[in-house]
Amino acid sequence: MMEETAPAGTMASRNSNAFDQAKVPAAQRPRLVAFGSGFEPVFGLASRAAALLVVLVMAGIFATLCYQSFPAFKTFGLPFIFNSSWNPVTDKFGALPAVTGTLITSIVAVVCGAPLALGVAFYLNELCPFRLRSILTTTIELLAAIPSIIYGMWGLFVLVPIMSKIIQPAVINALGPLPLIGAFFQGPPFGIGMLTAGLILSIMILPFIASVSLQAFATVPVALREAAYGTGASVWEVCYRIILPYTKTGIIGAIMLGLGRALGETMAVTFVIGNAHRIQMSLFAPGTTISATLANEFTEAFGKMYLSSLLALGLILFAITFVVLVITRILLHSANRKIPV
Amino acid sequence: MKLDPGILRKRRLMNRFMIGLFHLAMIVSIGVLAAILIKLVADGVHSLAPSVFTMSTPAPGSKGGLFNAIVGSVLVVFFAILFAVPIGVLAGTYLAEYGRDSRFGHVVRFCNDILLSAPSIITGLFIYGLVVLPVGHFSGWAGALALCFIALPVIIRTTEDMLRLVPDTLREATIALGCPYWKMIVSIGWRAARPGIVTGIILALARISGETAPLLFTSLNNQFTSFSMNAPLSTLPIVIFQFAMSPYRDWQQLAWVGSLLITVTVLALSIFARLFSRRKT
Amino acid sequence: MNDNSPETKIKVSVKQLNFFYNDTLALKDISLDFPDRSVTALIGPSGCGKSTLLRVLNRMYDLYPGQRAEGRVEVDGENIISPGVTVSALRAKIGMVFQRPTPFPMSIYDNIAFPVRLYRRLPRQQMDELVEEVLSKAALWNEVKDKLNRSGLSLSGGQQQRLCIARTIAIKPEIVLLDEPASALDPISMGQIDELIEELRHEYCVIMVTHNLQQASRVSDYTAFLYLGELIEFDTTNAIFTSPKIKRTEDYITGRFG
Repeated sequence: MMEETAPAGTMASRNSNAFDQAKVPAAQRPRLVAFGSGFEPVFGLASRAAALLVVLVMAGIFATLCYQSFPAFKTFGLPFIFNSSWNPVTDKFGALPAVTGTLITSIVAVVCGAPLALGVAFYLNELCPFRLRSILTTTIELLAAIPSIIYGMWGLFVLVPIMSKIIQPAVINALGPLPLIGAFFQGPPFGIGMLTAGLILSIMILPFIASVSLQAFATVPVALREAAYGTGASVWEVCYRIILPYTKTGIIGAIMLGLGRALGETMAVTFVIGNAHRIQMSLFAPGTTISATLANEFTEAFGKMYLSSLLALGLILFAITFVVLVITRILLHSANRKIPV
Repeated sequence: MKLDPGILRKRRLMNRFMIGLFHLAMIVSIGVLAAILIKLVADGVHSLAPSVFTMSTPAPGSKGGLFNAIVGSVLVVFFAILFAVPIGVLAGTYLAEYGRDSRFGHVVRFCNDILLSAPSIITGLFIYGLVVLPVGHFSGWAGALALCFIALPVIIRTTEDMLRLVPDTLREATIALGCPYWKMIVSIGWRAARPGIVTGIILALARISGETAPLLFTSLNNQFTSFSMNAPLSTLPIVIFQFAMSPYRDWQQLAWVGSLLITVTVLALSIFARLFSRRKT
Repeated sequence: MNDNSPETKIKVSVKQLNFFYNDTLALKDISLDFPDRSVTALIGPSGCGKSTLLRVLNRMYDLYPGQRAEGRVEVDGENIISPGVTVSALRAKIGMVFQRPTPFPMSIYDNIAFPVRLYRRLPRQQMDELVEEVLSKAALWNEVKDKLNRSGLSLSGGQQQRLCIARTIAIKPEIVLLDEPASALDPISMGQIDELIEELRHEYCVIMVTHNLQQASRVSDYTAFLYLGELIEFDTTNAIFTSPKIKRTEDYITGRFG
């Protein structure tokens, strides 16, 4: 079976060696040989220092964000997170619109992107002609390689007109008048908005979810697949009743990874979100996300409170993504322990 | 067992329907990729001219190119990789050789995993607080540093993974000959893992070439033709951002050219990395 | 144990079967008849093609491009390797148990119910009865009757394998294929599986691949010896093990190779 590598720069590329080799006995792997001969201690020290740097960077990020955002939190306190006014003139800032926007766009991204990604993964795993599999997998991974700003450009100049002229009017007419869910689809069809941003994000996170899902599917034992088909089940039934439950943990981990990506995405969202610090029900209304706010307002920001509030937003984003990434890590590590019998 | 034909029919229908959906998902994905590439080529090639590479960014309405932005990008990326490679390879070596089971190794791995997938804008904010504020102004060095910290986890991860693939029996045989530990790593480990490590570096390069957000708070932008790393530096992604969001037609056209240049570079690097790793293994 | 009555019906008839892995010929011109209501063992050294032959019978090779079969394999007269055959319906008739236990990631109850529901819509009570019936036949009922809702993966290896056998006979196949069903199990479980196979031969055409010659001689009625993709000898088990006609068979039985 061909080895699939996740787009480099994802948590998932660890899976290439889920089978760990036998450990070299400790006696043959010297710890820091402080007074050893020659170059050994220098090399050991250098590599340890480099490793330490990683930890320092991580700690540094946390520390810097806390330090810089402290004035804002001191002034506004915890209500900062729940306040929805964002007024540079009166120096009153609240994170709620940005946080809500981040969460909503990411959820839309996952809701649209995860099924799409799983469909792609199932296609590549079960239906794809053998010769095409490598090419198609590479094509999907190219989606991950395209920089965020290109998605932003495409979103603004291609998707937004389509949304504005075709899709949004159609949806507003069809779903707008309905009770309850109609409230999500109101307003003039500008083309920009939460939904558009969510759709762009869903395409961006698709290759990550698909790639990790494919790796999860590879852990399904051959005998189990054959036994499933052996009972006469169809392709869909095997995917849905056998493969999916078996790889449940890995699939959820994949989706969480996608969520983590969507939360932090900046440039693609900035182009199409509309940059309004307002919370509105409609998915077609302009809004903002944490990263979009930072990208748009940072260079124009004046005043200590403004800057500090922006950095406080950064801290909140870091905290949210940190939690998601930790959960993802736990899920994917436990999924990888399922070595084929 | 007697087969109920009604059930069989329903199952077959469901199966065909879902298989159709899987195909649709695939078509949509490839379709979007094609749409993006087509748009890039259509609008980017349209305005592609030698002036793009020779003239610097213009004021709206006047003729110009992307020369300073291109050079700025090359500088920032070059220095970022220059710093990231030695640190990354050494750290990855630590994780694969010395720190396989140690508590410190686990901590490092954890931090690296987080940094790998953390939003790049956060890294930009970090460098802003660490370098830009104390120094007092934006600079190309800050931008390079931010990109360095984005490339670093990628290189560390691939280095560790590739080194781990080298069989332990090879290591033991080398040490049994009396070879010092560090020399074994360099001569045997690095050599065996070299294709994979190089692939990782190329992929890191591809990744940071397209990054915009971290540059926003570090190298900022510079409409003049300046190549000083100590001052704000113009880079391609930032210029694209500024030009694309503007209402000026000629600026938007330059934004498309820049987008085409970046995408071609990034895709070429990614495909090259894939081919390179396939060929060697 | 060793039936040799002339009324023994032939359930599966293999005629001049050639099987290819891409361009490699793995089964060479195999012709063989499997009698109904008996156990036929396929024996031979590793790589002789016995598992390959087994997997032709339920078209398992369909899953892998590059594998193809030529010739005829007739089940009740119908050639099952012709392209027009509905594989799903075929697999309702032919069940397979694998070397490693393969419980589905579902509850024990659903492990049995899932394949059944592919073909029949049974009301709850009838399904309950069916589940109890097959689990009893597999000598598993008493051990799991209080935990039918637990996952199939929570059972021990021997129990999982018996669950797989129960699952296979739940859809009332006519032919049961066993691919070294006890080789991954401890000796006690192996004995239980042997007893099960004894039971199965009263109702099904059982074809079993095994490299355990003692098991083959204990449990089977007929034995076929394969070597390097060819059928060397086929006879009643008694005949093969006490007076084989071909020297190579004798060499294998007595352990001179393999």
